[in-house]
Amino acid sequence: MQPLLIKRGAEADIYIVEWNSKKAVSKVRSPKSYRHPDLDAAIRKYRTIHEASFMSAAKSAGVMTPFVYFVDPVKAEIIMEFIEGQNVRDALTPDICYKIGRCAALLHASNIIHGDLTTSNFVMNKRLVLLDFGLSYYSERTEDMATDIRLIKEVFTSAHIAVRKAFPCFVEGYASVVGTKKIDKTLENVRKIEQRGRYARMT
Amino acid sequence: MLCLGIESTAHTFGCSVIDSRGKILSDARDVYKAPEGSGIHPREASRHHMEVSPDILRNALKSGNVTMKDIDIVGYSAGPGLGPCLRVGAVIARTVAGFYKKPLVPVNHALGHIELGAMLTGASDPLVLLVSGGHTMTLAFSHGRWRVFGETLDITVGQLLDQFGRALGFASPCGNRIEELASQSAGKYMQLPYIIKGNDVSFSGLLTAAVKLASCNTELADTCYSLQETAFAMLAEAVERALSFTSKKEMMIVGGVAANKRLAQMLDSVCSRQDAKLFVCPIKFAGDNGAQIAWTALREYMATKMNVQVEESTVQQSWRLDTVHVSWRR
Repeated sequence: MQPLLIKRGAEADIYIVEWNSKKAVSKVRSPKSYRHPDLDAAIRKYRTIHEASFMSAAKSAGVMTPFVYFVDPVKAEIIMEFIEGQNVRDALTPDICYKIGRCAALLHASNIIHGDLTTSNFVMNKRLVLLDFGLSYYSERTEDMATDIRLIKEVFTSAHIAVRKAFPCFVEGYASVVGTKKIDKTLENVRKIEQRGRYARMT
Repeated sequence: MLCLGIESTAHTFGCSVIDSRGKILSDARDVYKAPEGSGIHPREASRHHMEVSPDILRNALKSGNVTMKDIDIVGYSAGPGLGPCLRVGAVIARTVAGFYKKPLVPVNHALGHIELGAMLTGASDPLVLLVSGGHTMTLAFSHGRWRVFGETLDITVGQLLDQFGRALGFASPCGNRIEELASQSAGKYMQLPYIIKGNDVSFSGLLTAAVKLASCNTELADTCYSLQETAFAMLAEAVERALSFTSKKEMMIVGGVAANKRLAQMLDSVCSRQDAKLFVCPIKFAGDNGAQIAWTALREYMATKMNVQVEESTVQQSWRLDTVHVSWRR
């Protein structure tokens, strides 16, 4: 089977390939001509290795991610399980927002910061599957967890303004894992980050 | 219909007359120059604006071959920006609007950048990268507003370049000088912090590291080169993420930093990868100017007849673009 390009993402090209006679996904961070070669190589290698290890770490935290079959840090390629399902960016509902909240909270409870928590990185299979851990890292700081939450909030208010109560549903899902005391503390930090933004109102 | 626009958010005081078909009849401006090694002092900048304003206003009318009687509406930049500077523009606008009995229309300065850029380049529904001393944001239009997809979490790319330049004793704005120096480098890249947080960027760590790098005996051209490469690659990645997410087929870059050729070159590469058309705001109108205010006021007034009474007209130093309802755009 010839590799079939299915998506030219921001970071990587996604191909459908065959791996041990199973349908699989190959994610290749191909070189970007606009970046300096040294910078480009460093970013691609770093993110590929990180992504592969965090996909496994997220599983232990209780979040569904594709199985990693093979990693090539030099080519910046990961071959992973193919996940059937719809991209959440195109099918967001309040119920899914709740589940995204649960996913985020499970990761944070294991001190994993996703780093790119956006709706296009979720696929709705039977369960919700999270992708794209290239920017993930370990941290126990509330600030870093709040950065994750602020990003998904920004995505809700920019791309999904028609989905009503998206963020409140997310918060509800998050609180169902970690409790209201913890989420309140994190949301307070989200507010602090927002106020640091350009031209934010000081309230 | 003719509109007089008055811009005074930061270092530029500008007046411009524009007609309802988007023809810029005149564009007069004067830029406050800070002493080398220091930034905009709000009080000094506002003093500069006060001193030049009568001439700039007269010049804008004269070179447009119009008198105040021909003008139908007066637009002014009501924020965001430096308080003392904003107030100078507002005072001039209130005075002419009140005396000649013209409707007075407050305009969001950032919206002005985007709307004038779209008019001049012909972009209809672009993903926008707004990069200036005051803003670093990726935006797309949805449900009546320009929605923020990503932005800087601390300083803007304009501030990064200016503060780096000032630390070396350059005169602000420093972007030009840094670009020139970078182009003299042989392409020696030194690693600097590259911070992407999802769709957002952060430049404060990069600034500290670049200033430190410049102070430890490195070739200045190489430091400028590395700074530009790192900062612009971050912006290019943020844009590529937003393009991929939104599937927009147009991309527009506006704001003072849009004048940088290396940034435009990187974005061009991003756009061809993502199959989008790149629109770059013409250099002359990339930075702050009166035309952006005039054009936006005109569109607003033609669509909604929105205007304020002189006694109720205000300025806002903090006024986010994503709180502005834009009724004329779909």
